[in-house]
Amino acid sequence: MSRIGVFVCHCGENISRTVDVERVAAQVGKMPGVAFATDYKYMCSDPGQTLLKKTIQEQKLSHVVVAACSPRMHEKTFRKAVEAAGLNPYLCEMANIREHCSWVHEDKQEATAKAIEIVGMLVERVKKNRVLPTITVPVTKRSLVIGGGIAGIQAALDIADAGHHVVLVERDPSIGGHMAQLSETFPTLDCSQCIMTPKMVDVANHPNITLYSYSEIEQVDGYIGNFQVTIRRKARSVDEDKCTGCGVCMEKCPVKKIPNKFDCNLGMRPAIYVPFPQAVPNTPVIDRDNCIKFKTGKCGLCQKVCGPGAVDYEQEDRLVVEPVGAIVVATGFDLYTIDEKPKGSMIKGYGEFGHGKIPDVIDGMTFERLASASGPTGGKILRPSDGKEPKQIVFIQCIGSRAREKGISYCSKVCCMYTAKHTMLYHHKVHDGQAYVFFMDARTPGKAYDEFWRRSIEEEEAVYIRGMVSRLYQKGDKIVVMGSDIAVGVQVEIEADMVVLATAIQPRTGADSLAQKLGISYDKYNFYSEAHAKLRPVECATAGIYLVGACQGPKDIPDTVSQASAAAAKVMTLFAKDKLEREPIVARVKEAGCVGCFACKKVCAYGAVEEKEIRDRQGNLIKVVAYVNPGVCGGCGTCQATCPSKSVELDGYTDEQIVAMIEAL
Amino acid sequence: MIISQSTMDVDFVRKVEALSGTSVRRCFQCGKCSAGCPMATFMEHPPNRVVRLLQLGQWQRILAGRSIWYCASCETCSTRCPNKVHLASIMDALRKLSWDAEGPSKESYVQLANKLFLQNIRTYGRQYEMRLAAVFNVKSGQFLKDLMLGPKLISKGKLKMFHSKNKNLPEIEKIFTRIEEMRKKGEAL
Amino acid sequence: MKSTNSMNSTNAMNPKKAIYNMNETLKYSYYPGCSLHASAGEYDLSTRELFKQLSIGLTEVPDWFCCGATPAHNVDELLSLSLCAKNLEMAEQVEGDLAVACAACFSRLKTTQHVLAESDVKRKQVEKAIDAPLKLDGKVKHLLEILARDLGLERLAASVKKPLSGLKVACYYGCLLTRPPDVTNLDCVEAPTIMEDVLKAVGAETVAWSHRMECCGANFTLSRPGVVIQLTNAILESAKEAGADCVMVACPLCHGNLDIRQKEIEGVYSVNYGLPVFYITQLVGLACGLTADKLGLGALIVNPMPLLKEKQLL
Repeated sequence: MSRIGVFVCHCGENISRTVDVERVAAQVGKMPGVAFATDYKYMCSDPGQTLLKKTIQEQKLSHVVVAACSPRMHEKTFRKAVEAAGLNPYLCEMANIREHCSWVHEDKQEATAKAIEIVGMLVERVKKNRVLPTITVPVTKRSLVIGGGIAGIQAALDIADAGHHVVLVERDPSIGGHMAQLSETFPTLDCSQCIMTPKMVDVANHPNITLYSYSEIEQVDGYIGNFQVTIRRKARSVDEDKCTGCGVCMEKCPVKKIPNKFDCNLGMRPAIYVPFPQAVPNTPVIDRDNCIKFKTGKCGLCQKVCGPGAVDYEQEDRLVVEPVGAIVVATGFDLYTIDEKPKGSMIKGYGEFGHGKIPDVIDGMTFERLASASGPTGGKILRPSDGKEPKQIVFIQCIGSRAREKGISYCSKVCCMYTAKHTMLYHHKVHDGQAYVFFMDARTPGKAYDEFWRRSIEEEEAVYIRGMVSRLYQKGDKIVVMGSDIAVGVQVEIEADMVVLATAIQPRTGADSLAQKLGISYDKYNFYSEAHAKLRPVECATAGIYLVGACQGPKDIPDTVSQASAAAAKVMTLFAKDKLEREPIVARVKEAGCVGCFACKKVCAYGAVEEKEIRDRQGNLIKVVAYVNPGVCGGCGTCQATCPSKSVELDGYTDEQIVAMIEAL
Repeated sequence: MIISQSTMDVDFVRKVEALSGTSVRRCFQCGKCSAGCPMATFMEHPPNRVVRLLQLGQWQRILAGRSIWYCASCETCSTRCPNKVHLASIMDALRKLSWDAEGPSKESYVQLANKLFLQNIRTYGRQYEMRLAAVFNVKSGQFLKDLMLGPKLISKGKLKMFHSKNKNLPEIEKIFTRIEEMRKKGEAL
Repeated sequence: MKSTNSMNSTNAMNPKKAIYNMNETLKYSYYPGCSLHASAGEYDLSTRELFKQLSIGLTEVPDWFCCGATPAHNVDELLSLSLCAKNLEMAEQVEGDLAVACAACFSRLKTTQHVLAESDVKRKQVEKAIDAPLKLDGKVKHLLEILARDLGLERLAASVKKPLSGLKVACYYGCLLTRPPDVTNLDCVEAPTIMEDVLKAVGAETVAWSHRMECCGANFTLSRPGVVIQLTNAILESAKEAGADCVMVACPLCHGNLDIRQKEIEGVYSVNYGLPVFYITQLVGLACGLTADKLGLGALIVNPMPLLKEKQLL
C-alpha cells in the first residue's frame, strides 16, 4: 500500500489567488493512498524543501506529488529534494496547477475543482511510478563550432586552447565573417583587419582545430556528449593539401568581372578566387556558375598554370562525419535589404526609398568596404554611380529596425554606434564634406559608447537631425532626402550625393533550416532561442548546444566575443566530466511480446533502436527482437505509440500510468 | 502654459482611439509622418506633434490650432508609419471632436467648405461645384475668388447651371436624422 | 473525363488562349460620382465611350448619391460610412462588380468596406443609420483595375487601332488610388506600375518622375487655393523636368488642380508648363480609335490639340 504525500504550493499568490489551496489539500488528503497532504506558501523555497524532506522521513512516504508550477520549472528541484530524503527521485511527480489552472482561469470555485482533479490524476499516476536508475553516458570531448566569424573563431580558439579538439565549419570559402569586412571598429577605431586577421591565422595554425571552410552542416544525430555530425564539404575544385596559395590561377583566369560579394559587389573578382587577400585558408575556390570551363568545357587555363597541380575540375562534394560532444552555433547575421520582398513575406522593403534602385543609396556594410583600406576603392569614399566623392552625405538610422510596419519591431542595437563611426570615417577622409544623420534615438549604452557618439557631433561636426525620413528620390545626380526635425517641428530637405542606410540585422538566410537539423528553437524572426534570457543566455534548451553572437540576437563585437568565451567555458564545464548522467526516461522493450517487426526502428528519430538476437543455451537463434540503446534514446515515446504488440514502454510514461490518470478523471 | 496632470485628459485620448480605431500610444515620435506630409508647412503643429500633444491629453492646444484642418487626408503618414498608427484616421477623429465642440479653431475657411459640402448632400444629394463655390465665396466674403476661372469653366461645360432632383433625397434625409438621433441617445460618438 | 482531356490539350497547344475567353462579356455597375456629372463631364463621357468601344457593359446605379467625399469623413466618419454603405447597397441591385471612376469615391467606398469589416461597433451603427443589413462582399473596382486586370493588357492591346507612339506621358497616381494599401489593394503602394502598364499596352511612352504620388492639395482648391497652387506646381515641375509631353490622371480632383489651375500656377511662378492633362479613358480611348468629340477632349482647359496633332494622333 502506497503512502503518498501531497504538497500544494501557493506560489505566493500566483496559485492561491484563484485556487483555494487549503481545500485542495483537504480534498486530496481523503483520496485512497494519500497518507499526508498539506499546503505551503513557497514549496520551492528552502523552508518548503525542508518541509518536504522532513515529511518524507517522518511520515515514511512512499511517493510524492507536488502540486505547483509546470514541471519544466521545478521538477528537477523537487526530485533532487526527494532524493536527498532517501527516495528514488522518479517517485516524485508534479501536478501543474499554475500554468494549467490558476493562471488561465478566473472563477475560484471552478479553478479549485479543476486543481483537485489535476492533483487526483497525478496521485493515481504516481502510484504506478517505478524506481528508475540513473543512466550514465560517456562524453566525446570534441566540439563542433558552426560559423567562422568573430563569434565562432573566438569560441573555437578558447575551447582549443583548453586542450579540446574543435571542428570549425564555415559556409564561405574563408573564415572571417562580417568582421573581416569592416574598416574600423567602435568605440576605439582600431582597424578591424588588424585585430581580426591574427585570430584567423591562429585558427589555421592551431593543432587542436580542424577547419572545414566552404562546408555546411548536412545532418546532426545524437545528443549531448555524443553527437554525430555529417558535414558537406562543397567541391572547391582546388585541392587544399596541394595548393600553395601562389595566386597564379587567379591572375590568369580570363573571367575577371564578377562582382565580389565580400566587397558588397563593388569590387570585381575572377571565376577562381579567394574572397579577400587575407583569406584563411588562402586556397582559391572555383565559382562554377561563372567559370568558362564549367559552362562550356573549354578554357582550363587555371589547371594548366597551377604548379602543384591542385586544380581539380572533377572534385565532388564530400560528406564527412565528425563525432563531437558539444556544438557551438555562431552563424551570425545578414543585413536587411530595402528591396521589394516576395508577396506574402512577413518582411517588407522600402518603396519610399526606391526599393534599392537608386544607385547611390547604399547600406552600412557597403560604406565599410568603401572606407576600408583594402576595399575596392582603396579606402576612398566614392559613390558607386559615377565614382565621384560625395560632398553631402546623409546617414539614416533604423532602416527596417523598430518598424513593425516593415515586419521587424526589434532594435538592431549596433547601428547608432556604427553610424557615429561612419560620420567620423567620412570626416577623416572627406575634409570638405558634410555628414547628416537622421535618427530617432541614439542608443549608446556601453563603456565609452556615449562619449563616442557625442564626439561624432562635437568634434567631427556631423549634423544629427532627430526625425525619420519619409522618402528618397533621385533628382538629377542628387538624392533628395525628405526628412523632418521633430525638435524644431519643421521639414528638412537635403540634396545628398550619397545616402547610407543603417539597415536592420537579421538572422542568416537558412537559419531556420539549420535550427531544424540541430533541433533547437527559434523565434519568429529566426533568431535562435536561448534557454533562459537572463540565467542561461548562451545555452539552448537542447542540451549540449550553445549560442554565440548575432544568430541569437543583434550584438556588437565586444558582446559577441564575451559570449563566445562564455559558451567556450560552458563547453569546458561539460568536458570536465568523463561521464554524463541523464534522465532514465527511455523506452524499454518487453522481449517476450516483441515479434521483431521493427516498426519502432522505422519511426525512431534518434536511431536508438537496434536488432538483438535471442538464442537458447545451445546458441540456436530463437528470434530477433528490438533493443533500445538507453544512451541514444530521446524519450519521445513514438515507438510506444507505434508498436502493434504493445511491447515497448517508455519509463515514466507507461500506458499503465497514462491510463491511471485518465481513469482518475 | 505648463502641462500638468490637471490638463492631461486621458478620456479624450480614449475617445480619439475609439473613433479612429487606431492606437495613439503606439507612436514613438519618429517624425516620419511630418517628414512626408505635403501640408506640414501650413500647420503650426506638424503631424507628429499633434500626436504628441494628443498622447499628453492636450486637446485644447490641438483643437485651437489650424493643423487638423490643414490635413489633406492624403494618407501618406498612415501608409509610411513604422508603427502602423493610422494618423489620417486620428485627424478625422480630431476634426469630428473639434466640430462637436463647435470649431474652436481659427481656421474657418476649411470648416465652412466642409459645412457647405455636407449641406449640399442633404439638400441636393449630389455636389454641384458651381453652387458650392458661389456660396462659399459669398459666405467667406471672398466675392472675387477664382472669378477668372468661372467663364472658362462655363464655356467648357464644366459648371452645370441646372440639375435634376435626386430621387433618394428622403432616404438621405433619413440617414442624417437617424445619425442625429443615435447621437442624442448616446448610441454613437 | 473527356472534357478534362480536351482542356489539357488546348492548354498544351496554346496556353495564352486558355486564359481568356475572348467572347466573355464583362459587365459592371457604374458609380460615376458627383464630379463626373459636373466639372469632369469629359471623364464620364470618355469612360462610357471607351467601354462601349471595348464591349464592356456599364450600367449606372440609378439615383446614386454623393459618397460624402473628403469633407464627410473629415468631420463625421459615421455619416461618411453610412452614405457609402447605402450607395453600395444600391449598387448590389445592378449586375456586375461596381466600377468607379473617381479616385476619391473609390477610396471612400473601399474604406467603408474595410472599416465595417473590421469594426463590429461601427458596422452596427451604420446598419442602424441606413436601416438595412450590410453586405460588404461586393467588389469595388477602379477603372484602372478593370482595364489592366479584368479586361487584361493583352486584350486591351488587341483593341488598339492607333498606338500612341511617341507620346511621353507622366502618369499621376495622386494619393487615394494606392493609399492606404490595405484598403485600396490596387498595386504596390510606393512603386505602382498599373497606369504605366495600361499606357504601354496602348503604345505610349511613360516617363519616370519623382512626384507621381505626391498630393496635389485635393479639395483645398475651394477653401485654400494657395495650398493647391504650391503643391500642384511641384508636381507639374517634376513632370516637365522628366520630359513628359502631358500628364495622365484617373481622378477628377487631381485633374481639376493640374488642368484648371495650371494657367494660374504658371502665372504665380512665372513658368510655362503647357502640359495637357488627360484622363486615362481619354488616352486609352484615343488609342482605341475614338474621336476627339467622343472623348470630350475639347473640355480640357490646357488645349491638347496642338500636342496630339504634332504627334499625329488626331
